[in-house]
Amino acid sequence: MQNTLTTNPLREGVSTRQAPGPCALVIFGATGDLTHRKLVPALYNLAHEGQLPQSFAIVGFARRPKTHDQFRAELRESVAQFSRFQPINPAVWDSFAQAIFYHQSEFGDTKGYQALGTLLKKLDGERGTAGNRLFYLATAPTEFTGIIQHLGANGLVQSEDRPEISCRIIVEKPFGRSLATAQELNHELADVFGERQIFRIDHYLGKETVQNIVALRFANEIFEPLWNQRYVDHVQITVAESLGVEDRGGYYDKSGALRDMVQNHMMQLLSLVAMEPPTALEAEVIHDEKVKVLRSIRPITPDQVQQFTVRGQYAKGSMAGKPVPGYREEKNVPPDSRTETFVALKLFIDNWRWAGVPFYLRHGKRLPKGVAEIAVQFKAPPAVLFAAESTAPLQPNALVLRIQPDEGIAIRMNAKVPGNELNLQPVKMDFRYGGSFGSRSPEAYERLLHDAILGDSTLFTRRDEVERSWRIIDAIIAGWDASPAPFPYESGTWGPPEAEEFIERDGREWRRP
Amino acid sequence: MPSGAQLETFASGVETAVDVAQIERQLHELWQLASESEKDPAQRQITHACLFNFVVLCETDTEAAHATEVVNALTDRHPCRAILLSVGADAAQSELSASISAHCHLAGTGQKQVCCEQIVIRATGQSVLHLGSAVLPLLESDLPTIVWWQGNFLRRNDLFRRLVSVSDRLIYDTSAWPDPQPQLANLARAITEHSRCNFTDLSWTRLGLWRKLAAEFFDEVHCRAELTCIRAVDVVHGRGPGASLRARLYGSWIAAQLGWPVAWAKARIHLSERDDSDATSVGMLSVMLKTDDATFSIRKNYGENAASATIDMPNACGLPRKRAFWPTDDASLLSQELDTVARDAVYGKALSMLIALLKESTGPMAS
Repeated sequence: MQNTLTTNPLREGVSTRQAPGPCALVIFGATGDLTHRKLVPALYNLAHEGQLPQSFAIVGFARRPKTHDQFRAELRESVAQFSRFQPINPAVWDSFAQAIFYHQSEFGDTKGYQALGTLLKKLDGERGTAGNRLFYLATAPTEFTGIIQHLGANGLVQSEDRPEISCRIIVEKPFGRSLATAQELNHELADVFGERQIFRIDHYLGKETVQNIVALRFANEIFEPLWNQRYVDHVQITVAESLGVEDRGGYYDKSGALRDMVQNHMMQLLSLVAMEPPTALEAEVIHDEKVKVLRSIRPITPDQVQQFTVRGQYAKGSMAGKPVPGYREEKNVPPDSRTETFVALKLFIDNWRWAGVPFYLRHGKRLPKGVAEIAVQFKAPPAVLFAAESTAPLQPNALVLRIQPDEGIAIRMNAKVPGNELNLQPVKMDFRYGGSFGSRSPEAYERLLHDAILGDSTLFTRRDEVERSWRIIDAIIAGWDASPAPFPYESGTWGPPEAEEFIERDGREWRRP
Repeated sequence: MPSGAQLETFASGVETAVDVAQIERQLHELWQLASESEKDPAQRQITHACLFNFVVLCETDTEAAHATEVVNALTDRHPCRAILLSVGADAAQSELSASISAHCHLAGTGQKQVCCEQIVIRATGQSVLHLGSAVLPLLESDLPTIVWWQGNFLRRNDLFRRLVSVSDRLIYDTSAWPDPQPQLANLARAITEHSRCNFTDLSWTRLGLWRKLAAEFFDEVHCRAELTCIRAVDVVHGRGPGASLRARLYGSWIAAQLGWPVAWAKARIHLSERDDSDATSVGMLSVMLKTDDATFSIRKNYGENAASATIDMPNACGLPRKRAFWPTDDASLLSQELDTVARDAVYGKALSMLIALLKESTGPMAS
């Protein structure tokens, strides 16, 4: 009788990450942009790094007829264009391509799912995928419910009670467009999948700098003692985009800036910045801490939206010296649209750590530049020592976490200007990822896909996080529905003048990232 | 204060001679000038970055030129203060001279360049004995010091002891040592003696993919059971510097990780050399781990920069896994090592097993 080892002794020192087990990944919406630009290049990158399972298969599920080889050839072009490993390594590609298959079916066709089941069983035998499944919903959200129901009805989903077989589903954003629709989608998912089998993706969480928020806060003793209402004056989270809605006018007009960016990405950033130290770096523990933050956010009631929010819509203007149309002139956008393309919010987190500290969230399209950052602005020091000598008021310290571009961390502090007089000037200590670690970080989707194959949901969002977030957003939307139209702002500016007045009322100002 | 032209020369990588005692001051002034030029968009935009001290030992002019190329490639991902110590062959004349230059790389898509400084100190004759004292004041404080010693550091005991006492890591390449096997016991003694310093052999780094592929076989529980029943490890290597040593080190690694006594390792590990005309027959060529029920194989693919790993076992997937080899030029190997900071205890265990096996002179592990 053989002795079974509980751990793999050859693994010691080879890699800190466990190799994922066998798996077949089924991508619904396999001919779409997301698959070609992000998912398959990320999978190829994982293959290149040797991080895919030994027994692995990718099945593209889509409506258009094509052969396996046609599909592989199209994906090769995408990988050549979008992979971070250039040029393609022929040996890696050949091996990777052998794992790619195409399955043509309408999303609502039962026979298509039965045939998918047959193909997956065949791959279990031929490629050793061992019955393990990872379904990826990369379709339009209108298809989600139908696909989930068909997966369940056609016996393609194994219960989470069978630990020997893994079956998971990744759901792309948007996860609902209101609390009610998110709950409905959660119910549909829960009818077929257990919560531990559901991976709600938010690609922001796969970004290195976002993961670094936890490292910065909890691996450095100098920050955490200051991370509270005693020392922090306010926090600004900015996600600015220079692009307009491009060819997404039809979709965007039904969504708007609040649903498209704030409900998911910005609420996740807020949770990570504000959460209490987790007791372990484990998925459930971190989700618990993030949910506590979301539960502590003081709701904005519909009659308070004028006081706590500003919304705007971009008008024509110019970007990088070229004229650009206004939102209402964009393709597939109604000329009388009331959809916001800019939003500024003031939120309070009613807990011991953050009582009285406003969190300002700002997001917009057609702003002067594309940038995402979190700025923790500390309280101004008492001016007793320098008020008489210094001509300008002291600038408070700020800690800025830049998420894109130029990921990094900067600290603003005051220093004496050399000379006989006591003049103080703010200076910036700047750490750039690109400068310190090179610029070859993995793409967000690489990390997230790898984690999903492994079954690690730390960087995904849990049901209660999504629903808590929608609860906050729904109340704001209800208030906006009864309010005047969004304020127009010229493309290429930092939003409507009302947004400036909004923060100036509090004696503060927006950062210029 | 240096001029804008001197800054331009420095940032473009051209070496400027400087007095050894003035190196720090010259660098300080150049970086100060660079930070002032940041305010003028017409000037070259430079950021000075440094994450560690990187001391490189070069025993010939060829090694020094190679080291400069490696540092240039390395600083793209690992900004550092590079200090190249060039030990001249001219024993009659004692001279100590220095030069400074920078390696600059564009950061991301921007126009700003991230630059690292390189200091070259050349010593001949008796001055070689004083190289240590020239280096120590140049180490940036509060940053780790990593020494890359091209050639065999055991041959320069004084300088080695001086440097290793202030180093966090010593990187060397036994594949480049002429006849390394008799020196392995001394190497192991040095590792034990200087336990504060992390010793890294690039020969071991070259085995990274081979070790990873072998480890991946046994991540799955039904395969892991086979680990306790391995009765033979066949390692085939080809030509090339250090190929035979690496094959031995690889076999020793498996034996050490599986906790085999030396006698078992001696009986179960089989090494062979294949010397055919194929240009790719260099380094490690194949590994087979055999049990009564299964064979786990890793093979370097002919004509490809890749290896395939296959399991021949009932109820196991027989499809080969194919993995591209990681680049094995010095810059890539060093970069790979600099990505990790943890001490590699596994290497020490493999080396001890190899030394024990080499003592058994009649075994297959003997040269």
